[in-house]
Amino acid sequence: MSVPGMSETTEAVARARAGDADAWGELYRDYAPAIFRFCRRALPTREDAEDATMDIFMKLRDKLSQYDETRSFSAWLYRVAANHCWDILRRRKIRQDKETEDVEDVPLEHPDPSQLDKLIEQKTSEEVRQALHKLGARARMALVLRYYSDMSYDEIADELGVRRAFVGVVLLRARHELRQALEGKSALAAGGTL
Amino acid sequence: MSEAADPVSPEGPGGTMDHLDEMTCLLYAERQLDRARAQAVSAHTQDCAACRTLLRALDRESRLLTRAMLEEDEPLPARLAEFQERARKSFGWIWGVVFGLAATGVYALYTTFIEPAQVRLEAAGFGGTSLLSLLVFQGAFWKGWQSVITLLEVLAMVTVAGFGLVIFRKRLRRGSALALVLASLCAALTLPFPAGATEFRKAQTAEVRQEETIKGDIYLSGERIRIEGTVDGDVYAAGKDIDIDGHVTGDVISGCQAMRVRGRVDGNVRAAGNNGIISGAVGRSVTWFGDSVTVDSTGKVGGTVSMFGGNLSVDGQISRDILFFGNGVSVNGTVLGGISERGESLFIASTGQVGGRIQFKGEHEANVASGAKLASPVEFTQREHKSEYTSGHYYIWRIIWTAAFILLGLVLFLLLPKFASEAVTAGERVGAPLGLGLLVLPGVLIAAILACITVVGIPLGLLTLGLWWLAINCAEIVVGTVVGNWIFGRTTDTWGLIGRMAAGLVIVRIVYTPIAPLHVIGKLVALGIWMWGMGAISLALYKRVQPKVSSSSMGVPVAAA
Repeated sequence: MSVPGMSETTEAVARARAGDADAWGELYRDYAPAIFRFCRRALPTREDAEDATMDIFMKLRDKLSQYDETRSFSAWLYRVAANHCWDILRRRKIRQDKETEDVEDVPLEHPDPSQLDKLIEQKTSEEVRQALHKLGARARMALVLRYYSDMSYDEIADELGVRRAFVGVVLLRARHELRQALEGKSALAAGGTL
Repeated sequence: MSEAADPVSPEGPGGTMDHLDEMTCLLYAERQLDRARAQAVSAHTQDCAACRTLLRALDRESRLLTRAMLEEDEPLPARLAEFQERARKSFGWIWGVVFGLAATGVYALYTTFIEPAQVRLEAAGFGGTSLLSLLVFQGAFWKGWQSVITLLEVLAMVTVAGFGLVIFRKRLRRGSALALVLASLCAALTLPFPAGATEFRKAQTAEVRQEETIKGDIYLSGERIRIEGTVDGDVYAAGKDIDIDGHVTGDVISGCQAMRVRGRVDGNVRAAGNNGIISGAVGRSVTWFGDSVTVDSTGKVGGTVSMFGGNLSVDGQISRDILFFGNGVSVNGTVLGGISERGESLFIASTGQVGGRIQFKGEHEANVASGAKLASPVEFTQREHKSEYTSGHYYIWRIIWTAAFILLGLVLFLLLPKFASEAVTAGERVGAPLGLGLLVLPGVLIAAILACITVVGIPLGLLTLGLWWLAINCAEIVVGTVVGNWIFGRTTDTWGLIGRMAAGLVIVRIVYTPIAPLHVIGKLVALGIWMWGMGAISLALYKRVQPKVSSSSMGVPVAAA
């Protein structure tokens, strides 16, 4: 998995594992902005994101010995971050989305592509970010894991604790929620009439 | 491959056909369909414009999502930018344990030794003082005792507060922590502190004549010191013989061979010397370090007599208690309070009277004459000769003290990171610091004592003594860091050094613990560690004070004009 905006610093990771405090500084400098952004997208408030970023880097000290150097550090770091954020959300019991793994609930109608196109055309990144925060925790987390961290469906399934086959459903529902938040039209969110 | 939904089967190109459902389009766009189904979708979209448009829209939606999420819309908050330093510094639970142990140690030390001692000292007439008076050293060296206790109290509070901050760090923002520290400092600094002395006299025979009245404190030094007049303040005296026949309204603080108080001292007498004879009146307490003190039959002490060393003979009257650590106490007169003694002997003559509890810890039971009037029988405790090394208590205290030393090291390394690094580098040479330590360890102590003897040099002497004591405590920290560097590799990073200091100190203490009971060897090893560390600190100090030679003046040949 490649992570945009994050450079691999294998040497710094190796030195940090050996207890070099300067290497920790390097890692923090390189990765903190991206992890903060990740937390900012995944968690409800800015303060939550700040606290979570700090906790993730504190946790990293203990967990670094478990890191397999043959794999991507940034991907591993995102897994740690995702686990942490998802734990926070679970602990707070704010998973208010009522999703079930009932496939029948997924709308199979063909949405109006031109209206979807129009919506995408009209909305800015800022509006999308604002709309993201109106989503349920699971929907938001699913979108962040997929479109920010570029995680595979298997990894997302693992993170969210759902069957792999259900990931697509979660993502599609999340997109519908997002469209609803962007437009405020239930029809669009339902996917039937755009 | 998703099993979520079967795509609506394309029925063939053109003509009437069902469209692909959104789920199938999404899975196709995200490359989650198996090869056969992907091919079917691909074939369908070639002929179905609506599905093709939907696929494109979903793809654009994905890209919009990615762009919206990855955009750097807000900078890293200042709190997190600062956390970079803290992230490097964090030693997690280890520091929690160190803080906890140190806080426990300081608290235990305070409640076990300091608080009872403070009560006794207060009874002995040592009034309150403040942190500020400690900081400016106020001139009166015995008053420093109280300051040391205040310092320990402050340290205990700071340690407990530090521990609290570690625990509740997430709930405290920087502003509130800073406000807390400032408020505490202000509170400490606003406490009252006494004024200093004013007059100095130095002569073969330094005296205050009978008709003379000194307003304020006076410093006297000489072979013989005589006070026949009145001093309306404190007397600080250093000399061979001191005679007080006049009237001192404040305290008498002295270092001498012999002191005789035939006149009146309204305050306390605090002295270090061979012999003290009190035939007159001391309004408050007497504190004596030395060979012998006699309260004559005409003598009267209004407070407590505290004595460390030698013998105490009471023929006159003591209005409060006797606190004694030394050889023996002999009571022929009256003690209105109690007696607490740790010594060899206690004798109470038939004329003796003791109004309070008598606690005596010694080798032999007290000798009480039949006519003696005691408020209660003597409580005697046989002194046990048990090796401290066999008790678990000793090892618990070792752990607590190790934590306290690590804490001290942490504070010093953070306050003086560069100097700490230089001292550790100097310590790594071993030979040079050991040699220098051999000179500095006794040399500085002797110099400090000599400075104290010349009354005028008391502040300087005490400051030197304090620094010497601090250096002794730091010596082990420096040696610990050097050992840590040897084991874990060298580093110049402050927190790296602190980590090595903590680990090295623990290792040094673990190695030293079984050596300590080996009497001479144990003491030699301790001495070696002190010399090594102190030598390293001295070398680092020496390098600091050495004048730097500019590069332009270093052997650059000057061209002839």
